[in-house]
Amino acid sequence: MITLIPGALFLFAVLGVVEVASRTGIVNGAVIPPPSMVAMIFLQIVTSGAFVAPLLQTLELLFAGYLTGCGLALLCGILMGSFRPVYNLFEPLTELLRPIPKPALLPALILFLGLGSTMKVTVVALAAFFPVLINTIQGTRSVDVTMIDTARTFGYGKAQILWRIVLPAAAPYYLAGMRVSLAIGLVVIVMAEMLTSNGGVGATLIDMQHEFKVRQTYGWLAVLALTGFSLNALFTWIERRLTFWSAS
Amino acid sequence: MTSRAAGIVLVLALLALWEGSVRFGLVHSANWPAFSTVLGALYQNVMDGALLTVIGSSMWRMLCGYALGSIVGVSVGLAIALYRPVRLALEPTIELLRPVPITALVPALIFVFGLDDRLKIVCVAVATFFPVVVNTVSGAATVDPIYLQVTRTFGIPRSMAIRRVVLPAALPFILAGLRTSLAIALVVTVIAEMLAGQQGIGYYLVSMQYALRAPEMYAAIILLTMVAYTLNRLFLMWESRLIRWARTRELEA
Repeated sequence: MITLIPGALFLFAVLGVVEVASRTGIVNGAVIPPPSMVAMIFLQIVTSGAFVAPLLQTLELLFAGYLTGCGLALLCGILMGSFRPVYNLFEPLTELLRPIPKPALLPALILFLGLGSTMKVTVVALAAFFPVLINTIQGTRSVDVTMIDTARTFGYGKAQILWRIVLPAAAPYYLAGMRVSLAIGLVVIVMAEMLTSNGGVGATLIDMQHEFKVRQTYGWLAVLALTGFSLNALFTWIERRLTFWSAS
Repeated sequence: MTSRAAGIVLVLALLALWEGSVRFGLVHSANWPAFSTVLGALYQNVMDGALLTVIGSSMWRMLCGYALGSIVGVSVGLAIALYRPVRLALEPTIELLRPVPITALVPALIFVFGLDDRLKIVCVAVATFFPVVVNTVSGAATVDPIYLQVTRTFGIPRSMAIRRVVLPAALPFILAGLRTSLAIALVVTVIAEMLAGQQGIGYYLVSMQYALRAPEMYAAIILLTMVAYTLNRLFLMWESRLIRWARTRELEA
């Protein structure tokens, strides 16, 4: 805890410099507002409850897409990682689709699925899918064959081997992919909301920018920053609990 | 190679299904042009130079931002790894800012940097910075302290020790960070161009969607995918040449 003090001092020093620069006009206060003002706006957004509806919408669509993408990727990844023929069949297709920058698909998805929730959930699921898929294939393959053979010797069936041996052994890989996907998912849902302007924190943020409400823009940015930070912290916590036995 | 035959057949079959679904009238939609129509649009737009100008301008902004973010990332990473006060001061702020979704920064950055080149370069630089800095720090941490003690014993200046000992040892990690960032840089360029201004492949994509010119839109996505794939391949080649010694040492060990 003590080691956090210099870091906090540094942060406050930077904010202090910006505060003074903005108030004295060294930087244009109209585009870089004093941090204290932004903090006030942020508190207003939080205490008035204005953040609840947009944030809930964003998180709901994020999780719907994220869980769909992760679920499908885990299923496909375990199949591709366990059975060589399945891997051979789908590997070229994966290599073809993986490098597509997923936000570039947004215009196409909008044409097909419109501007609503379906489109947003789909793009998040697509973006979340590939990092989890690649990690799941790798993780499933990395499971020690001796462990699987031993389990088989002791009469474990296929389902039992999967549940008791493969899943726990490969879990750190799966979770690493899911962590990357969560960050990507947040980027993509905010992006989709900005392009469609029908609710969510991303839409609120871009509306504030269009209306040139500078302080509000920064205030809502803080909401999203805090969301990103909390999601990451939450994931780290879950990851530690699920893989408590893996030292690294 | 033969083991991939089935997979390649699958890809071809899906493309044929795409083509056939339009040719035989299974799907009637302006949003769903035949694969051959998309390839035609790609060929035509590349040949008349329109798409090349657009992707070229995007690549230029991307590389500017990528270079900026990489240089700052490696420098800050080395400073954090080598000087404890710098680590104590900077690390909490970096950990605090790292999970901020880059898309959320775009509107605020528009106020400061406008809608054009500077905005996109800054967005790319910010997105590039974090993976590079984190990897540089963990790379520099792998340097055997004895090596540094040896340089001190022989009175080698610190700057030289950093260049000749720390940097090479951290290089595989730094390169891993740079490769992650390269993929991110391209995506962020497209994101920023889609959200602000009227330049580059990102804006092209959005404007083709508004104009309901689906073939051009898909052509742009295919081109972007080819660029992303090529960049990654080129980087992998460069990377394996640069750190060949790292792998041979691993093999010897």
